[in-house]
Amino acid sequence: MSLVKINIGPVHPSTHGLLRLVVTLDGDTIVNVEPHVGFLHRGVEKLAENRMYMQIPPFIEKCDYVAKMAMDEAYVATVEAAMGIEPNERAQYERVILLELQRIASHLLWLGAMLNDLGHFFSVFMWTFADRDKVLKLLEEATGQRMFYVNMRLGGLRQEFPKDFEYHALDVLTYLEKRINEYESFIENSSLFKERMYKVGVLSRDDAINLGVSGPVLRASGVNFDVRKDKPYYVYKKLNFKPIVLYNGDNFSRYKVRILEIKESIRLIREAFKQMPDGNATGMPIKLINPAPKNKVVRVSREGPRGEIMFYLVADEQRPYRLAMRTPAFINLAALNHIARGNKFANLFPIIGSLDLVMADVDK
Amino acid sequence: MVRLIIDRKDLIDTISSFKKKGFSYLVKILGIDYIDYISVLYILRNLDSDEEIEIEVHLNQNDLWVPTIINIFKGADWYERELYEMFGIEIKGRKVRKLLLEKFSENIYPLRKSFKWGTK
Repeated sequence: MSLVKINIGPVHPSTHGLLRLVVTLDGDTIVNVEPHVGFLHRGVEKLAENRMYMQIPPFIEKCDYVAKMAMDEAYVATVEAAMGIEPNERAQYERVILLELQRIASHLLWLGAMLNDLGHFFSVFMWTFADRDKVLKLLEEATGQRMFYVNMRLGGLRQEFPKDFEYHALDVLTYLEKRINEYESFIENSSLFKERMYKVGVLSRDDAINLGVSGPVLRASGVNFDVRKDKPYYVYKKLNFKPIVLYNGDNFSRYKVRILEIKESIRLIREAFKQMPDGNATGMPIKLINPAPKNKVVRVSREGPRGEIMFYLVADEQRPYRLAMRTPAFINLAALNHIARGNKFANLFPIIGSLDLVMADVDK
Repeated sequence: MVRLIIDRKDLIDTISSFKKKGFSYLVKILGIDYIDYISVLYILRNLDSDEEIEIEVHLNQNDLWVPTIINIFKGADWYERELYEMFGIEIKGRKVRKLLLEKFSENIYPLRKSFKWGTK
């Protein structure tokens, strides 16, 4: 049978942004998938070389517009490392709480979008979206903004948590825990879900390492690597964090890793609230920044919801000389061709969904 | 942070020997324009011991090429394409079929320092 080429996108509901795929098919089987990216390329790395240090967070956040806090924090931590600043303990706890809340919000949005790809049109999506909104309300309470926070300052946060924040947060966590268990029980019993998740899009352990994927995609293939555990930052050591690792490498494992991560995040936040010392977590105002030492090179890795975020900074006095970013979705998408090959065409979208792509993150 | 500055001709051997030693994960390939030369960095990680190593190659501005490492790390594919289009560093041993991010800007290399912000 002759091969057929199909063009998908760049604007397509299941590509989660502007992604064009050229798929070569043999009958109904995928022979090759060629992603065409770059529609959202803004040249963030070049832009960063032309802005002062603390002018950068507002646009670096938009790289991953689903998990803004993670990007923001990773960047500010890089600048802190270049300037030799370390946040105090309370600020570290508060950052961990915000980051884990952001992870929950990101995974909830992903869960709804993933079920959309499977054909559960907008029922689960609406529910998870409403739940995510509860988390966003919490973040708004803590930071003053609902979507784009720009909340990190050198040595801490822009503002201290409000008084009742802990009670509100714990309320929402109790609610979420119940909801996640509900989602789990009915999603996993759906026959539609089972057919398109179990043993579909398998990525073996060796291939996952060789392709350099990170985050839940890597851990679903049986690789026990989580930046929070293996290169611990802030107070993750004290919180007894355990990475979630599954071994099948299929769509289902990638789904399950994220579900279990939400539960782990809920546990981490509760523990962090219990251990958090008193004090003041407010960081330095923007104007008080000392110049960074010239030509100092720092590299900082963080575990974002989508995978490993890495910043490589060559510092200049007032602005970065070079800021290179490793964005997690970029390299996870690069693995798509390998994962999808040999699968049925209809299963391509669940596979894309299971990679949790944010196209602005890919295109930088 | 361990950094190793090596010669371009030793690149393939060095990287494959580190891979045999357990540095089996490629974190990132990136370029930095230092005006006198462009340096290309390969960041490798050992997933068992969590050690990391940076392997750096310095390239003369009028002799910009590196050999491909796609046969050692499959994940190098998109990083190499990005390197080519951002710095104009030719990747020998593979055909860079087309541009990845900047579709309309052939022969313009935006991350070089000679490319000024705000110009076309």
